[in-house]
Amino acid sequence: MRRVFFALMLVLLLLPPLAAAQVAVQSYPLPKGGGYPHDVAVGGDGIVWYTAQRDGRLGRLDPASGKVELIPLGVGSAPHGVIVGPDGGAWVTDSGTNSIVRVDLQTREVKRWPLPESRGYVNLNTCTFDKRGRVWFTGQNGVYGRLDPKSGEMKVWDAPRGRGPYGIATTPDGDVYYASLAGNHVARIDLDTGTATVLEPPTKNQGARRVWSDSRGRIWVSEWNSGNVSRYDPKSGSWKTWKLPGDGPRAYAVYVDDKDIVWLSDWGANAMVRFDPETERFERFPSDRPGANVRQILGRPGEVWAPESGADRLVVYRTK
Amino acid sequence: MAILGTVLAWPPGSHGDPARGERVFQRCYAWHSVVSGEHGLPGPNLHGVLGRRAGTLREFRFSLAMVEAGTKRGLVWTRATLDQFLADPQRVVPGNEPTFPDADDRHDMIDYLEQASAPRSHRPDARPSAHRR
Repeated sequence: MRRVFFALMLVLLLLPPLAAAQVAVQSYPLPKGGGYPHDVAVGGDGIVWYTAQRDGRLGRLDPASGKVELIPLGVGSAPHGVIVGPDGGAWVTDSGTNSIVRVDLQTREVKRWPLPESRGYVNLNTCTFDKRGRVWFTGQNGVYGRLDPKSGEMKVWDAPRGRGPYGIATTPDGDVYYASLAGNHVARIDLDTGTATVLEPPTKNQGARRVWSDSRGRIWVSEWNSGNVSRYDPKSGSWKTWKLPGDGPRAYAVYVDDKDIVWLSDWGANAMVRFDPETERFERFPSDRPGANVRQILGRPGEVWAPESGADRLVVYRTK
Repeated sequence: MAILGTVLAWPPGSHGDPARGERVFQRCYAWHSVVSGEHGLPGPNLHGVLGRRAGTLREFRFSLAMVEAGTKRGLVWTRATLDQFLADPQRVVPGNEPTFPDADDRHDMIDYLEQASAPRSHRPDARPSAHRR
């Protein structure tokens, strides 16, 4: 009996890996006047918010009905990033009005905090909350900053190495990191002093574009120039790098889901890419539309949302 | 070889506002430089871009589409072709961005690019401040 048991275990170990993860894909077309979705954020209630960058609006999609509501953000608005904050608001980095914007999810009230005049146009990119309720943001023209919504105080710092700050994210412990595309590095921000410390990825001129944390506080980086995905472990200070499959990958966005699976958008393959760090296997989901151009990815347990800016639709990858 | 369709209605010889164009260019500042010899940004250096064949700047790794636009289709950046490209980059050379739908923005910025590439004796300080509005 014991021999049968061990033989069975040996057979199981030698079997090929289990079939690819079960992922169901669904797309939601967006209305005229609310297309070109740049970034997306999904709240705990399942409602999806997105920035209609060319129309200066915040979009609200109810996936259950497919209905979209559009909220104007004002003259000159060109919203880039959006997140759902812990305070019940949609927080937007508006590169058109050079402002941090909050939209109340219940009342739809729009409130703006402009960057100081002295800073000029900073080309706002993305934002994230720390655990003290403050909003940290990046400006591509060479700044990062912090807004305290309670007091309205805003501070802006010059980024080390100038232009480039792009994606930004918070770890489960509350640390904040950003990627610098033009600066080719990742930086960690000291939440007390505001100082940014440069962390050099191993690939020179890699074009670090976005960052996201896994459940262990390790920072995953999408590398636009190199086509790599890399991971920085703050505990050891070490890096690990994987090249996306195919010819000429261009990794734009990165997101880590609730199961620590890494999702990326590859503009070279016009595909979403799912990466399992345990097996180190990639799985591609090519878009059925040319030039889908997914610029950011965000989700909630069981759902990974990808705004296809080139196809004027939101696509969800439902995972089991 | 004429590779583009109808040239946009930009009166020949007319010029925009390069000072305003510099402010429009701030949207591109994180991607391109107009300073001669400054490379290593996510986009190619635009110093001297007018008159340059598309996809040929040695210091930048262009997409295949851009290289082919220049070498096979004969695309050269002029005020007119740049204007068309900035109005609808995907149509002119697929895979490129961003779009500047406002004609005044495009014309003023092209004027700024031309001015920034002129010999120093012919222009005001062309090094853009990252923070000018």
